[in-house]
Amino acid sequence: MNEKKKLNLTLKIWRQKGPGDAGRFVECKAENISPDASFLEMLDVVNEGLVKRGEEAIAFDSDCREGICGMCSLVINGKPHGPELGTATCQLHMRTFQDGDTITVEPFRAKAFPPVKDLVVDRSAFDRIVAAGGFVSVNTGNPQDANSILIGHAVAEKAMDAAACIGCGACVAACPNASAMLFVAAKVSHLALLPQGQPERMRRVAQMRAQMDAEGFGNCSNEYACEAACPKEISVRAIARLNREYLKASLCSEE
Amino acid sequence: MKHSCKFLHSSIGKKFTVGAAGVLLCLFLVFHLSGNMLLFVGESQFNAFANTLDTNPLIPAAEIILAAIFFAHVVVSLWLRWQNKQARPVGYADYRAKGGRTAGSRTMTWTALLVLAFLIIHVKAFRFGGRDGGMYHLVLSSLSNPYMAGFYLLALAGLALHLSHGVQSAFQTFGLNHPKYMPAVKALGWAFALIICGGFAVIPIWALIKGGL
Ligand code: SF4
Ligand code: FES
Repeated sequence: MNEKKKLNLTLKIWRQKGPGDAGRFVECKAENISPDASFLEMLDVVNEGLVKRGEEAIAFDSDCREGICGMCSLVINGKPHGPELGTATCQLHMRTFQDGDTITVEPFRAKAFPPVKDLVVDRSAFDRIVAAGGFVSVNTGNPQDANSILIGHAVAEKAMDAAACIGCGACVAACPNASAMLFVAAKVSHLALLPQGQPERMRRVAQMRAQMDAEGFGNCSNEYACEAACPKEISVRAIARLNREYLKASLCSEE
Repeated sequence: MKHSCKFLHSSIGKKFTVGAAGVLLCLFLVFHLSGNMLLFVGESQFNAFANTLDTNPLIPAAEIILAAIFFAHVVVSLWLRWQNKQARPVGYADYRAKGGRTAGSRTMTWTALLVLAFLIIHVKAFRFGGRDGGMYHLVLSSLSNPYMAGFYLLALAGLALHLSHGVQSAFQTFGLNHPKYMPAVKALGWAFALIICGGFAVIPIWALIKGGL
């Protein structure tokens, strides 16, 4: 069998005991890493070693590990979700790195994402923004016929593109202003484009905007770094739509 | 009233203000440059034009409006910037954009400061300075100084960079981003920046040459 060459790496990793701790970078070795491992699997290996030596494991977030849940995060060598485009950290393969590399690993940094421990930050600000209006209120009852509400293919595609947002927060992490506009834009867009989203359309955008500002995110300055960092490649056109929707709601809403 | 205050106070509303003020300032640049082109028509025509502006009773009102627009553009931008600084209290040890940012977008604050410094010098010399020998003479005598001309050219390069991001950014803020037109809008931003700043740059270069450099 042709064994692939294992990687030996140095990690410069952010360790922080808790919210009150100042935090610092700690160097540790990641040895014998398969190039087929994901970045998170590499961290698992490192953690096993740490635990064996009686040291505390590095805390990091993950869940599905297949790019659909939005739990993983990390700023790897200065880039949210690492160097690959359209890829979440859990899908990032170690073969993107060279044997002997030093890799800097930091948490997502924003006032609205307060640190919890090591690489884990609290992204519940996003949950509160969604709770403020990122939903549709539907009466329960018998399900209607699947095709009773017609939606043009192009519109459905656009709505689905926006709905692909997994709420990871990489857009905030990548933004030089720590703005959450791409996330909010994705959530507002996907419902604004669909018939089911119409009844609450104006209230939704007004309330989600208000919650976004209240959480302490920065203001978008159209740098578009978010779009490049987004693992789901949400387009900044969604932000333009959010601006439009909010202007319209401010001008026309009677609430 | 309450509603418009809420809008203007929001993150998106503040950006609207900056964008709208920026668009108006761009219009002013067009007027300013058109007036300046009279320099190449002739000394008497240019001086006559400057004189009309100096004596027109509507001009002080227009100047106040212009100053207010400029003030709004600067103050609201600073406000946004200050909030943006607050939004990331602990910075990254290593930060690299995966894309999106441009030379213009990265340098917005620096080019803004450069243009601001320029404007202070420029307004002091040409708006509040004496114009005994006539405006034409004043332009020639100040801009034939190589240091002054160099500073003007530098500031214009800064302004061009500022506009290269600012114009398309205003479109995006107004919600005008469409896959069909955005590439054209970005190109238009650059074209506008180069035409306006190139147009202004002709003046110090001309003054240098005429001044016998
Ligand atoms: S817009 Fe992209 S980067 Fe931002 S939260 Fe959604 S998936 Fe993550
Ligand atoms: S762990 Fe679910 S998206 Fe990465």
